[in-house]
Amino acid sequence: MRRLGAARAVLALAAVALGCHGAAPAREPVAPPESPAQKYLRDPAAVERGHKIFIGTCGAYCHSTQNVERDAPSLFDCEWKHGGSDQQIHDVIANGVPGTRMPGWGQALPQGDDDVWRVVAYLRSASTCPAK
Amino acid sequence: MHRQVTPFALVLALGLGSAGLGLAQDSSKEAPAEIQLPPPPSHWKAAQPVGTSAGPVTAEMLAVPSTPPDRWIQYLGNWRGFRHSPLRTLTPESVKKLTVAWALPTGTTGQFEASPVVYGGVMYVTSSYNRLFALDAKTGELLWRYDHKNGENLRLCCGPPNRGVGIAGDLVVMGTLDAWLLAFDRKTGEIAWKVQVADYTKGYSITSAPLVVNDLAIIGVAGGEYGVRGFFDAYEVKTGKQVWRHYTVPGKGEPGADTWAGTSYERGGSPAWTTGNYDPETDTLFWTTGNPGPDWDGDVRLGDNLYSDSVLALDPKTGAMKWYFQFTPHDVWDYDGNTQLFLIDTKYDGAPRKLLVQANRNGFFYVLDRTNGKFLRATPYLEQVNWATIDPSGRPVVNPDAMPKEDAKHRTCPSNLGGMNGSFSGAFNPDLGLVFIPSSEACQVYSKGIGAYQEGLPYLGGLPDTVDATAGKAYGNLAAIDVATGKVKWRYRDNRPMMSGTLSTAGGVVFAGTLEGEALAFDAKTGKVVWRFRAGGGVRSQPIAYQLDGRTYVAIPTGSFTALDSFAAGVTRVPEGGTLFVFALPK
Repeated sequence: MRRLGAARAVLALAAVALGCHGAAPAREPVAPPESPAQKYLRDPAAVERGHKIFIGTCGAYCHSTQNVERDAPSLFDCEWKHGGSDQQIHDVIANGVPGTRMPGWGQALPQGDDDVWRVVAYLRSASTCPAK
Repeated sequence: MHRQVTPFALVLALGLGSAGLGLAQDSSKEAPAEIQLPPPPSHWKAAQPVGTSAGPVTAEMLAVPSTPPDRWIQYLGNWRGFRHSPLRTLTPESVKKLTVAWALPTGTTGQFEASPVVYGGVMYVTSSYNRLFALDAKTGELLWRYDHKNGENLRLCCGPPNRGVGIAGDLVVMGTLDAWLLAFDRKTGEIAWKVQVADYTKGYSITSAPLVVNDLAIIGVAGGEYGVRGFFDAYEVKTGKQVWRHYTVPGKGEPGADTWAGTSYERGGSPAWTTGNYDPETDTLFWTTGNPGPDWDGDVRLGDNLYSDSVLALDPKTGAMKWYFQFTPHDVWDYDGNTQLFLIDTKYDGAPRKLLVQANRNGFFYVLDRTNGKFLRATPYLEQVNWATIDPSGRPVVNPDAMPKEDAKHRTCPSNLGGMNGSFSGAFNPDLGLVFIPSSEACQVYSKGIGAYQEGLPYLGGLPDTVDATAGKAYGNLAAIDVATGKVKWRYRDNRPMMSGTLSTAGGVVFAGTLEGEALAFDAKTGKVVWRFRAGGGVRSQPIAYQLDGRTYVAIPTGSFTALDSFAAGVTRVPEGGTLFVFALPK
């Protein structure tokens, strides 16, 4: 998390520097495209479906339903071993992690990729990130 | 949950090796310090034939109601499932004189669930991860040994146990966690034949001891948590040739398929992971079945889900079913129907009757007529049962609060590990008319979710929250149940679930053990503890007794599986590691 913060700071400084020179034309900030998980986060039914999938598929033998480390990592502590963006979390769920016991579920969930994003939304909704 | 080397661990190991090779370029990295010794062999055959004082094990030997005291040749003691030794030397008074005669470490972790087999003065015992030891039953001398090399990344729901061998002719037969069946020459340890029962990567495993009926070895598979299609097979003992297979879940268009919504039977589980019984008088094989898949989401498999959680009566020659009785239709709690069966002939309601008796995982003690499957009675044998009552036809009347839910809060009893459980055995003392049943008293909150199916991966559809175990409220009993009335005559309470098997003796003793690492003997009439031995490891095995050259022995394998113990009873500090203890009375 600290590395990400530092990277953001560098980018911000760079932007300030560019602004000071005044060489670049002023532009409106462009928001990154919203991930499907962010859309689902505003839809309680989608979050609940993500929860059901987590309970029925991810949480019985492998990941804890609470912020507890088992053989499989906790998914509620905001510590992401394979990248913490929505897209990275999605990709781990969809494709698995080679060399580990995490299989890919992209083809197996009943509603495919949409369900993967709902799980991402649920994990976001249920995580308790430590204060920075 | 198993603890074998995984691909992940392998990758880590290779990575460390690479770091070591890079030492010349980077002195900050350390070379591996451990010296790699050559791996030991995995198969040691007997130097000379052993057990030659006895001839081949015959069908007649297996058929006798009470096995002679110089042998123990069936997992359940006899075809009727009594686990009752004819030894009158093991009494509430004499067992106080038991001392350790010899012991054997298995060198493996995980639960040591076996029932040893003794024949011709040789003990055959299997450990977790399928080591098979042949030992001098009097001295413990190791005669031959086979360590099975199971495939990697086994599909195990609940640990790596094996519950023992079957013995027939001059062969001992063992099923493996990677779903093979192997036969060994009992005198030399040579492999006589081996057959692949199933592809374990699809979710199958074998943990039980084969049942030998006449010239057949019958074995079933585990895999109810993997959406397999359950089955049990019969193989010719002499050759390993498959004679029949009986699927426990119907295929498309077969009878019972309409008890599964849509095509849900294709992932219907219903494994056959315990050892069955045989009734020679009616020439009937009895086999039991486990939970339907997925375990806790029944919405995707509406219907009774035949033939899950049932007892099946079959023709042993063909595997054709005569009748069935389903204990828990549409199970959504993981209440496998495959706890031990007792085939008991006794008076029932004043008339002689051939009974089939079972302390089911769902908390009820069932009595059926084994000639036709007719339901006679079900009574709770646990102190806590609230998931259902049983109606006069034998069908459960389910408590709606006990159904798994998305926002579950109801504390439902018993737990998914059951009261009793197929991984440990009860015993029956015919002189007293008492069945001895170890059990877990631990309730859970059952949550329902959406289970995604992938071949070879867990298929569960929910989870049980182990609220009692987590709160330290899980405990156990050994109960003596009067078959005539279904009433509990006495209970011994332990502060952890009782998950060991039992042994009854004609001298009036019951042997069992605790997860905390004590082997115990009880007065069969009163439940009073009359002997205890601190084994150290949790007791999950099936004890046996035998007598050789006039000396009486009791064998109790010890060693448990931390992950399952913690799930059942709360976090445990008892270490793993299998040790077989053999006790003896003074000469």
